Amino acid sequence: MLQLFLIAFRNLGTHRRRTLLLGGAIASVTALLVILMGLSTGMKESMLRSATTLSTGHVNVAGFYKVTAGQAAPVVTGYPAILEQIRKDVPELDFAVQRGRGWLKVVSETSSIQVGVGGIDIQSEPGLRQVLQIRAGALDGLAESGTVLLFEKQAKKLNVQVGESVTLAAQTLRGASNTVDARVVAIAADMGMLSDFGIFVPSDTLRSLYQFKSDTAGALLLYLKDIQHVPVVQARLRQTLTDAGHTVMDHDPRAFFMKFETVNREAWTGQRLDITNWEDEISFITWTLTALNSLTGVLIFVLMVIIGVGIMNTLWIAIRERTREIGTLRAIGMQRTRVLLMFVFEALLLGMLGTLAGASMGLVLCLAVNAMAVHVPEVVAVFIMSDTLNLAVHPSSILGAMAFITACTTAISLIPSFLAARLKPVTAMHHIG
Amino acid sequence: MNPTASQSSIVSITNVTKDYTLGKVVVPALRGVDLEVHAGEFISIAGPSGSGKTTLLNLIGCVDTATGGVVRVAGQDTKQLTERQLTNLRLNTIGFIFQSFNLVQVLSVFQNVEFPLLLQRKLDKAQRRERVMQLLEQVGLASHAKHRPNELSGGQRQRVAVARALVTRPQLVLADEPTANLDSVTGQNIIDLMKELNQKEGTTFIFSTHDAKVMSHANAVVRLADGNFLDRISAAEASRAMAAGGH
Ligand SMILES: Nc1ncnc2c1ncn2[C@@H]1O[C@H](COP(=O)(O)OP(=O)(O)OP(=O)(O)O)[C@@H](O)[C@H]1O
Ligand SMILES: [Mg+2]
Repeated sequence: MLQLFLIAFRNLGTHRRRTLLLGGAIASVTALLVILMGLSTGMKESMLRSATTLSTGHVNVAGFYKVTAGQAAPVVTGYPAILEQIRKDVPELDFAVQRGRGWLKVVSETSSIQVGVGGIDIQSEPGLRQVLQIRAGALDGLAESGTVLLFEKQAKKLNVQVGESVTLAAQTLRGASNTVDARVVAIAADMGMLSDFGIFVPSDTLRSLYQFKSDTAGALLLYLKDIQHVPVVQARLRQTLTDAGHTVMDHDPRAFFMKFETVNREAWTGQRLDITNWEDEISFITWTLTALNSLTGVLIFVLMVIIGVGIMNTLWIAIRERTREIGTLRAIGMQRTRVLLMFVFEALLLGMLGTLAGASMGLVLCLAVNAMAVHVPEVVAVFIMSDTLNLAVHPSSILGAMAFITACTTAISLIPSFLAARLKPVTAMHHIG
Repeated sequence: MNPTASQSSIVSITNVTKDYTLGKVVVPALRGVDLEVHAGEFISIAGPSGSGKTTLLNLIGCVDTATGGVVRVAGQDTKQLTERQLTNLRLNTIGFIFQSFNLVQVLSVFQNVEFPLLLQRKLDKAQRRERVMQLLEQVGLASHAKHRPNELSGGQRQRVAVARALVTRPQLVLADEPTANLDSVTGQNIIDLMKELNQKEGTTFIFSTHDAKVMSHANAVVRLADGNFLDRISAAEASRAMAAGGH
């Protein structure tokens, strides 16, 4: 066995140019795979981190309240009691916050924008503090009512600075127009698509704008200690809240603002709860991830096929060159399986060395990109919800990539190896080559 | 065939035919050969080029299969054996010496000779080492144990091949023109070595050759002509026949 490894190893060493060429190809694919995976996972992580603080919890208990059948408001009435029950029912909970939700017009002296609004209690929002990068002003300014946080692009459009005032205009539940004035206390760095269509105001400002009661929230955002528990918690809450006498809507994996039309068409009035998870709430944006993953998959597949053909071809040549040797070894009593093993070892060694080199290269590149904090073009930033490129580096996925490519290389080598091992010894020995 | 003869015979060939098919043309290489080789014999196979010497040795060595007839090696009908069993027979019973040495280029002299022992998995490391060194000693290459084959002369390579063929102490050693690629002195040395092992260990040797001088060492010369068994004569008769131009 050891001897087979030795033969394989020395053969690689003897045909140095071929080994370098093939090993280099394998290394490149591995590096590419590591980088693409890093990009995809990094994007997913950025998205998850930004989205789950800006607009959704891991699990959300939200809902709609309808005074008349065709007029739904995205609110949960009597939220303190519900929140209390959730705290009791969900031991997996890390923390929970209530947010107000709405859609309004921000008017400045020169311009106006339509945006979604989040009503927050800044003191109880630990996540926001980590994710928002304040460019001007201070987040704590939101502790005072009649204030607003804008994002850079919005502030520019509206042509306002910290300290200046804007007017927020919205329709109340009963259809009346209402406005409040709000002072800009903070301007945060843009965070892609989600920040383009959202602003934050204190909860009570939102309530007074919409003339909600103080026990009305837009949604309860639940953050779990482990995101793996989302489905379990979601299912459990559906049960316990129903048991507690609430009407829970059927699960609809869309963001809340996409549901108005459906909800308005239904005949019921009063309060209904809607339990969603983070993926539902950003489903309108995760297609980019799916697209990237598909692209990565196709790219890797195509490369693997090309490399596979290359490896097969090269091994073919290598095996043809050594057909006489195979014949000799078979003649002196080497079993077919061992011949097969000998070539498989060669491919395995090549694969391991190649992927090791490739993974190291990919890793270094990923770390370098992260360290340089490369700024991405705005279009990309919109999708990845972060203006710098973050390549995720997970040892498990790197090892996985290495194992995958080594396995492919080895599997590909089986075909010519098998054909070589199958030859009659005498045929192999008489081979001219 | 009488049963006592077949018991002491290590190779027993009965009416063996071998056809090669080249496209639509069938080339008969052996047309019904009978041959009996007893343990301890030192036999030469002679005959003009194309008479079927290599073909016959390949059949005896179980690296090729006969078209018809029975080939028995060490008492076993090779037609009845699986590929795996045939390989084991080659490994444990037969040693091969090839005309063009056929050493593994990436292994050292020592490792080449040791290889069949590793395949056998019967001896431990120390025992293998002793056996290999003893044989290298015998072929006069102990000092070259660490060399690679491409650092050796043709004669030295063939001696390595002899050592490899003998290292498992096979009952039967087959050599197809072992001296054809060597000068006459080196060839003579190889034959002397084979003869010595034949006498000391009782190993059976069957080798093919065109060389009358090499043939003269054999117990008996089996002559083939055009795929047919011609006769089995003594070495002396063979050299007379060759001198008479009856090649
Ligand atoms: N692989 C093959 N395919 C087709 N015909 C073959 C093959 N090997 C041998 N033959 C034919 O079989 C016959 C016997 O060949 P073989 O090699 O046994 O002769 P040989 O006695 O060893 O000759 P030489 O002294 O030249 O080595 C020849 O006619 C040869 O052309
Ligand atoms: Mg021949």
